[in-house]
Amino acid sequence: MPEHKTKHPQKIILTDASGCEGCPAHNAANLLKLGVDMKDWDYVVALAGNPNTGKSTVFNALTGLRQHTGNWPGKTVTRAEGGFEYGDARYKIVDLPGTYSLLATSLDEQVARNFILFGQPDVTVVVVDASRLERNLNLALQVMEITDRVVICLNLIDEAKRHGLTVDERRLARDLGVPVVPTSARYNQGLDALVEAIHEVATGKVRPKPRKVETHSKILKSAVEKIQAQILQLYPDLPNSRWVALRLLDGDEDIIRSLRNGELGQLVQLEDAAADPHQILVKEGA
Amino acid sequence: MMNENYQQDVDQILRNAQELRAQVGVDFHEKLVEAVYTDASYLADRAVVRPEQAPRFDLDRTIDRIVTDKRWGFVLMILLFALVLWITIEGANVPSQMIASVLLDTVHPWLKGLAAAINMPWWLDGLLIDGMYLATAWVVSVMLPPMAIFFPLFTLLEDFGYLPRVSFNLDALFRKSGAHGKQALSMMMGFGCNAAGVVATRIIDSPRERLIAIITNNFALCNGRWPTQILIATVFIGGLVPAHLAGMISAATVVGVALLGVGFTFLVSWFLSRTVLRGEVSTFSLELPPYRPPRFWQTLYTSLIDRTIYVLWRAVVFALPAGAVIWLVSNITISGTSIAEYVINFVEPFGLLLGLNGVILLAYIVAIPANEIVIPTILMLTVLVTGVGGGEGAGVMFDLDSISDTYALFQAGGWTLLTAVNLMLFSLVHNPCSTTIYTIYKETGSVKWTTFAALLPVGMGFALTFVVAQVWRLVAAV
Amino acid sequence: MPHSLITLLIGLGAIGLVGWFFWPDTGLYSRLRRVRRLTSRVLQEDALKHIQKQELSGRHVTVLSVAGALGIDTNAAIQVLTELVESGLIDHNGEDYILTQKGGQLAMNVIRAHRLWEQYLAEHTGYDPSEWHSQAERLEHDFSSAELDELAGVLGNPVYDPHGDPIPSSEGRVFDLDAIGLHELELNQFARIVHVGDEPEIVAAQIEAEGLLPGMILRVSEKTKDRVRFWSNGEEHLLAPIVAASISVQPLEDDHLVDVDQSAVYLDQLEEGQKGRVVQLMPRLRGAERRRLMDLGMLPGTTIAAELSSPLGSPVAYRIRDSLIALRNDQARNIKIEPITDEENHA
Repeated sequence: MPEHKTKHPQKIILTDASGCEGCPAHNAANLLKLGVDMKDWDYVVALAGNPNTGKSTVFNALTGLRQHTGNWPGKTVTRAEGGFEYGDARYKIVDLPGTYSLLATSLDEQVARNFILFGQPDVTVVVVDASRLERNLNLALQVMEITDRVVICLNLIDEAKRHGLTVDERRLARDLGVPVVPTSARYNQGLDALVEAIHEVATGKVRPKPRKVETHSKILKSAVEKIQAQILQLYPDLPNSRWVALRLLDGDEDIIRSLRNGELGQLVQLEDAAADPHQILVKEGA
Repeated sequence: MMNENYQQDVDQILRNAQELRAQVGVDFHEKLVEAVYTDASYLADRAVVRPEQAPRFDLDRTIDRIVTDKRWGFVLMILLFALVLWITIEGANVPSQMIASVLLDTVHPWLKGLAAAINMPWWLDGLLIDGMYLATAWVVSVMLPPMAIFFPLFTLLEDFGYLPRVSFNLDALFRKSGAHGKQALSMMMGFGCNAAGVVATRIIDSPRERLIAIITNNFALCNGRWPTQILIATVFIGGLVPAHLAGMISAATVVGVALLGVGFTFLVSWFLSRTVLRGEVSTFSLELPPYRPPRFWQTLYTSLIDRTIYVLWRAVVFALPAGAVIWLVSNITISGTSIAEYVINFVEPFGLLLGLNGVILLAYIVAIPANEIVIPTILMLTVLVTGVGGGEGAGVMFDLDSISDTYALFQAGGWTLLTAVNLMLFSLVHNPCSTTIYTIYKETGSVKWTTFAALLPVGMGFALTFVVAQVWRLVAAV
Repeated sequence: MPHSLITLLIGLGAIGLVGWFFWPDTGLYSRLRRVRRLTSRVLQEDALKHIQKQELSGRHVTVLSVAGALGIDTNAAIQVLTELVESGLIDHNGEDYILTQKGGQLAMNVIRAHRLWEQYLAEHTGYDPSEWHSQAERLEHDFSSAELDELAGVLGNPVYDPHGDPIPSSEGRVFDLDAIGLHELELNQFARIVHVGDEPEIVAAQIEAEGLLPGMILRVSEKTKDRVRFWSNGEEHLLAPIVAASISVQPLEDDHLVDVDQSAVYLDQLEEGQKGRVVQLMPRLRGAERRRLMDLGMLPGTTIAAELSSPLGSPVAYRIRDSLIALRNDQARNIKIEPITDEENHA
């Protein structure tokens, strides 16, 4: 059994109801629609990543053998769910299908994308392969466009070392603006720090400020800005307005539908309720 | 919020978005991906410190050179697969017999005794113990050991990273028939269990190639059908040659049938990709992941647990009702004749046309849920129909330890060499078992493709056995 | 025993009969299904399309032209035209048939359906480009406009069809391509072909013979009143301005510069151990396949090295962004690269 389960419970600072710091930010109603019942859980953590990054190893290491496997409501995609306890809180982990991208061109990508967007997990852990960082960051950057609550699990550092690569995780964390935790899940290394980082982001102790992708094409940039401005008129607090603008430009049917029926607006309100009045800076490194 | 104004605003935004997209141009998606990758590349460059010069010895590359070598690549592959099959068949023997002796020879009589002691009515005793229990026990003892050996071995190879290299080596062969190299893996899994093979096609992300792999997986001779092949080959084909060659010849026959199945896989794949599946999307991508030392004990443990649960689930859900049906059709009689005999007499002419007989056809109908009970069902029904001695009573499946006894029983049932050959062919080419059909439905989500996958092989099986039977008789007559 | 010979023949005959009946595309069952479709609705919609096309190109609509376009005899053509006039979709102004507003809308809808289906066939099926048009001709009549909206949603509400023709929106709006004719392109400006005209036929034939397709990148090197000379894909092309005018291009931003004068080298030509830089994914790679390659990081400017060849020669594994990705030779043939020389490599 991983060590973190028996660790001495950390105190979670709960302020009064109005400025509820550390309150869950997830969207319980949408999660239920997505097939995840949050009745017995405090926080929900989504696990995203490229295929073959040891994502399921991380999942198993975090959950121990108490995992339950089930099927997505979709057709072919399997999903694993599990949980762990840390401090006084119970965390549910949802293992999303492994994808290279989130541009929703395949069913897997659509499932993963919609879970992060509409389920609004309290934390999204992106498992990246340290030895193939460039391609894995492609996904991480896309996740960071959708949600701020991201923790990067820099996995397989043992393998990177074997290939003579070293990854400066402090610099990466600074550049990305989110916590980066180096792990080697198959040897159970770094998982305590990962749990700690998940906990800090979930409870709002750490508020990641993710880097947003720069668009170099002038035409694209100005098109995005125009649409973004219009969206912000409708929803001044929408956190991922630029990403929504990009998806609308791409004609993404799920996003269009959620804009039409107002679902997108509900996401704003939830994000708003959880917003923290005091700004806490990103803790660099892990 | 959902008022008219809101809808108008939204419509306006969407209109603008479409108009702007026309300006951005056709390469919108490209520009997007490029933007993200440019950033990713910049960040990775800053964070990763690479070695001054490439290491002199790269283990991954060295292994890759060996396993994809022009000559040794294939040899190694065949040796490894043969080794896995050999370990499975050899290793499964002992536990299979142990489970069988416990479940069939010890627990079964004990249950019968118990039923007698509490004065259970004969029909309930028969239905529950001879029908349902026996079928379930049979499936468990035949399927559990090979599955519990075969799949962990595969999982180990998969964890190590060898399997993608197999697809890489074989892709050129599969491409010729319009399939994906990864089908090699789902096919190999199919030799363990077709339902597992169908699930394994998930690794193929191209829709057309995946459907091809699903539909043709049934031509991989699964563990449930090996016993039929081995028994018939030993009894009939082995008997044709001198005793010292018998073992080798019957083994070669079974391998030949399995290879014929591989041939059918290619043939049907080729046919499908050029006709019915022509319009499905076809893509190819295959990543060769780095080699990783598998976590031996953990893999073994989880894989073992998974398979055991799976076999037990299948035995309860599919074999249990099949056992009930087998017992009922043999024991419910209408004016002195059992339903089984009515059905057998009815399908007998059709069976003879195919070079088979009514007993075999009925056995295949009731054994749709689980192919591994075909042989015991055939034996039981043959006793029922011919009325010769032996067996354990109507509706009670049994097995014979002696080859000569089995041969004698088959002869009493009117079997010839043609019957044996066609039974082997039909066992290879017929509808998938109901677990597989159910899995195909779950994986494709389509009634159309499930029906097609179920009916195509049984149609082919009828055609094949029919042609063989008629040609055989024609040649025999000359 | 002739008995089994007869049985065999009868049996084989039966198998053949079943095969002939159910054989995909050319079997009796498929044929029957297709014949059933040639209803009056199909004929009416095709006639509307024909009339609109004639109007746009300023040509007359006659009974003969309708009969020719629909492949029916003149009596049937008169019948169709009469039906259309009766339902108020077209008018006869003495010498010509013209579309009423209602008829124009309906024609626009059919065009929308056709182009959406072409886009669908191009992006979501494995049919060959030569089959798109004929398949779309059949599919365009079968769906309600709600179903078409759903289809558009699945396709990501496309603005263009695979030929670069604009797809009208559900309200019938057409988003004009932001493009200019090739003859208007400035000297030495890089541009991408976005649309190739298919009328008149002689021009279309010439463009096709030159191998110019939407998606190709070109640069004009000479422009006189008699000819336009340009480079594309390592070949020099020479066209009369009138032909060049039917090719629409979009000027490219600077960061897209591609060496179009260089003779083209493709990924499959890279020897084991050699390196190259991706120049362009050719337009032939499309749909899911193209996006998957891009997701894997196969983008212009990316360094790629041929590392491992499979025993039978295809696929070949390439090192790209630290991963080993296997591609078949017929895929690699569609990825244009620029080889990296040894000196450059060491520098």
